[in-house]
Amino acid sequence: MGRYIVRRLLAAIPVLIGLSILLFAYIRILPGDPCVAILGQHRTPEACAALISNLGLDRPLWEQYITYLLKTLSGDLGSSVVNSQPFLAEFLTRFPGTVELTFGALLFAIGVGIPLGRLAARKVGGWVDGLITGVSLFGVSIPVFVLGLALVVIFGVILGWLPTQGRIDARARFDATSGILLIDTLLAGRLDLFVDVVRHLILPSIALGSIPLAIIARITRASVIEVANEDYVRTARSKGLKEKTVDSRHVMRNAWLPVTTVVGLQVGGLLGGAVLTETVFVWNGVGRWVVDAIQNHDYPIVQSTILVFAVIFLVVNLVVDVGYALLNPKIRYQ
Amino acid sequence: MSDQHLLEVRDLVVRFRTHDGAVHAVNGVSFDLAAGETLGVAGESGCGKSVTNLAIVGLLPKPAGRVEGGSVKLQGRELTTLKEEELRQVRGSEIAMIFQDPMTSLNPVLRIEEQLVETIQAHREVTKEAARARAIDLLAAVGVANPESRLRSYPHEFSGGMRQRVMIAMALALEPRVLIADEPTTALDVTIQAQVLDLLRRLTEERGTATILVTHDLGVLAGMADRVNVMYAGAVIESGTTDDLFAKPRHPYTVGLLRSIPRLDGETGGKLVPIEGRPPDLIEAPVGCSFYARCAWRTDRCATETPALAPIDGGKGPIVTSGPAATHVVACFNPVAPAEVAEGRPLPRAGGATQ
Amino acid sequence: MFRAALVDPQSARVSRGLWSDAARRLRRNRPALVGLFCITLFALAAILAPVIAPFDPYEMNGSSLDAPSLTHLFGTDLLGRDIFSRVLYGAQISLFVGVGAVVLALLIGGVLGAVAGGFGGRIDGIIMRATDVFLSIPSILLAIGIVTALGRGMAQLMFAIAVSYAPTFARLLRGSLLALREADYVVAARTIGASRMRILVRHMLPNALTPLIVQATLVLATAIIDIAGLGFLGLGPADPRTPEWGTMLVDARRFMQTAPHIVVFIGGAIVISAIGFNLLGDGLRESLDPKLKR
Repeated sequence: MGRYIVRRLLAAIPVLIGLSILLFAYIRILPGDPCVAILGQHRTPEACAALISNLGLDRPLWEQYITYLLKTLSGDLGSSVVNSQPFLAEFLTRFPGTVELTFGALLFAIGVGIPLGRLAARKVGGWVDGLITGVSLFGVSIPVFVLGLALVVIFGVILGWLPTQGRIDARARFDATSGILLIDTLLAGRLDLFVDVVRHLILPSIALGSIPLAIIARITRASVIEVANEDYVRTARSKGLKEKTVDSRHVMRNAWLPVTTVVGLQVGGLLGGAVLTETVFVWNGVGRWVVDAIQNHDYPIVQSTILVFAVIFLVVNLVVDVGYALLNPKIRYQ
Repeated sequence: MSDQHLLEVRDLVVRFRTHDGAVHAVNGVSFDLAAGETLGVAGESGCGKSVTNLAIVGLLPKPAGRVEGGSVKLQGRELTTLKEEELRQVRGSEIAMIFQDPMTSLNPVLRIEEQLVETIQAHREVTKEAARARAIDLLAAVGVANPESRLRSYPHEFSGGMRQRVMIAMALALEPRVLIADEPTTALDVTIQAQVLDLLRRLTEERGTATILVTHDLGVLAGMADRVNVMYAGAVIESGTTDDLFAKPRHPYTVGLLRSIPRLDGETGGKLVPIEGRPPDLIEAPVGCSFYARCAWRTDRCATETPALAPIDGGKGPIVTSGPAATHVVACFNPVAPAEVAEGRPLPRAGGATQ
Repeated sequence: MFRAALVDPQSARVSRGLWSDAARRLRRNRPALVGLFCITLFALAAILAPVIAPFDPYEMNGSSLDAPSLTHLFGTDLLGRDIFSRVLYGAQISLFVGVGAVVLALLIGGVLGAVAGGFGGRIDGIIMRATDVFLSIPSILLAIGIVTALGRGMAQLMFAIAVSYAPTFARLLRGSLLALREADYVVAARTIGASRMRILVRHMLPNALTPLIVQATLVLATAIIDIAGLGFLGLGPADPRTPEWGTMLVDARRFMQTAPHIVVFIGGAIVISAIGFNLLGDGLRESLDPKLKR
């Protein structure tokens, strides 16, 4: 098991190196004078000089790369060309918002997707199956921002049931320690605000979670159907086990395996989709910040966000793979 | 039924619904099984052997497969109409099964221990410790070395032969009256096959377990079975004691089967003879004899009328359906004459038979 | 044993060749037909936009924010432009950019995958690590990064989306090629001394194309969604007046409270085209997979 984890960690190293080369190149292949390309309208002679020395643009390429790598590893992820704020500080104040949104979406996708998939698998070809297949088809075919806008119109504007903007009532005052409001409101003992946070979270989570939900429901359905046809499930029935035991111990224990992998893979899409969702719901997270950065041509911010999101994605999938190995004795003992 | 058999199958009909229509998988199969007896079932793949067994214990793939007629009685108790929960109690404890592929028949993510213990606990109110002790005994009985430590293993840590031993241990865990072994050695190496068969025979004899042994390997049946049913296109077409059947096969299909196995003693002249043609498409309802298209002995009557199982020599005395004195029955209007068996083709007959 | 001497009853069903078999099964697959219908609708809208569109999509043809009427089927936008006409021309852009991006992605990914899977060894390792790098970046973020760097424009949009899907195609093709390398007929071709290149082109590629075609159809759906997504983030075509669906939604969003129908019409157009490609892709997968043959 330990060796498996080490092997998976080692396998991530070339990807991380490749990622660093790609993003190193990103800033340097911008067309035209780097000063013009990167600083654009924020260009001043001083800023230009600072940028050149900061990125080491006057040094040989390999030296620039080593510098970039060392800086990145030491946590210096560059700074905004607009307001010179370091990336990491600003990122850390924004990130909890994105974490909260991603968590909500994943919870929705898993919490609804897996039961739907199991339900569909139980009655293959029936009308429930057809309905669920239709819902999941709709889920992968509707863009998050279209679904988001539709939810805003229906539940916010027409019905007025749920808030459609922001993460919490703007008038709320309490101590924000972690930045993750679901935790902070509880720590502050403000159940009313916790409920408010949850209410704010519902619509964005549904919008962002719809694609992963559809994918998770599909893979759960396919996986359960496949496992249900396995010989060992027939063996389990032939032994006279109760149907409940057959389902939980023999079907689901095996059906989880592909589902866990797919859940891990959804995190990438969720982080990407958060950019759009945060824009629709005026959600204070990394996504909206990046959109501002795009509009301001703030390349270092875009560059480092991509890096951090990619690393998070890799780490999450590493964790998922280890979880997969724990569920699957064949890998555990290799 | 005058004297009750352990298991009585009567006119069993099973259909599968598919997109191309209903598949007539089993068309009126009847047979009896006496306590302690080993009944061999032979026939090529798709002839309904396995489907019949799954139908007996109510494990036909849902929702496509359905028993559409006939009855299955275990000690006089009708199984086809039982509620799922009652049937569940029969499965494993009264009728147990062993399947063909030991590589896929055990759950890969559960330890052998869990799979044995859950079987015992599904039917007996015993503690986990007691079930575990029983599991150790069972593993020892099927010849697994270090049963106590092997109990902690996962299926993939066992070889194919060992896994099939575990399957046998699991099937016999509750001392069932009937064991259905569906091609139990087909997936194993030839050298392992003999060991597993020996074990199976020893354990069932010790326990007096009646066995239905399905195989397409007639060599296995010759050594293991007391009686043999030959199945073709979802029906039993010949049945008798193993000795009778191997010595005096009467159905053209049985003759073909016997002639297509290699024999070391060279009795059939050493030449392997395939049966020409292929089995009928079971999607169409059978009309006439199902073997008609491939049969060298066929007559006009065979095309339109379906022959029923009847004693070979025209029905002297009552038909015995089980045990060593079982009547040799065949479903054929024009059975193979003894002299024709070696030739594998009809010979001109004196008195001008219905050719 | 004797089973070998008997004919396998499974072979009784006659096969008419992969593609005609697939076409036959596709015709019986109702969801796939619905998909085909949606795609036809989408393609017709795109191709015939100049003929059907009642108004010039760039010109003011009515007053601001008119409700849907017989003249303006979908109403008008803030600048009084006919939304129906703009949606039709938007289909043209989505179809053009989407198909272009997928074709480009197929070319890039196809070459990489064929080289990796066909030759293996070190080159395979390098290509696969490279795809790992690209696949670790959320695809919309990768596209955002590329368009931000290259500047706005249809070609840039096409390229950005192509780059984010090329690794998927490369891996898919490589995977099928690796599986095929062990296939009996490929081994057979090798034993009779066919050249590596000939085996790859004649025997392996045609058989590896099926999953690629299915995936390309499904990716078209996501590509259309991604194009709109980039447009929605302000990374659409260079000219902000261009009737691109995502770009149009930015405006529509501002009047969501007073004129929600605009969001519905534009969003509906995106959803219908995406559903079309998703349905067709699923249908193709089912009908091209001979294992599912019944």
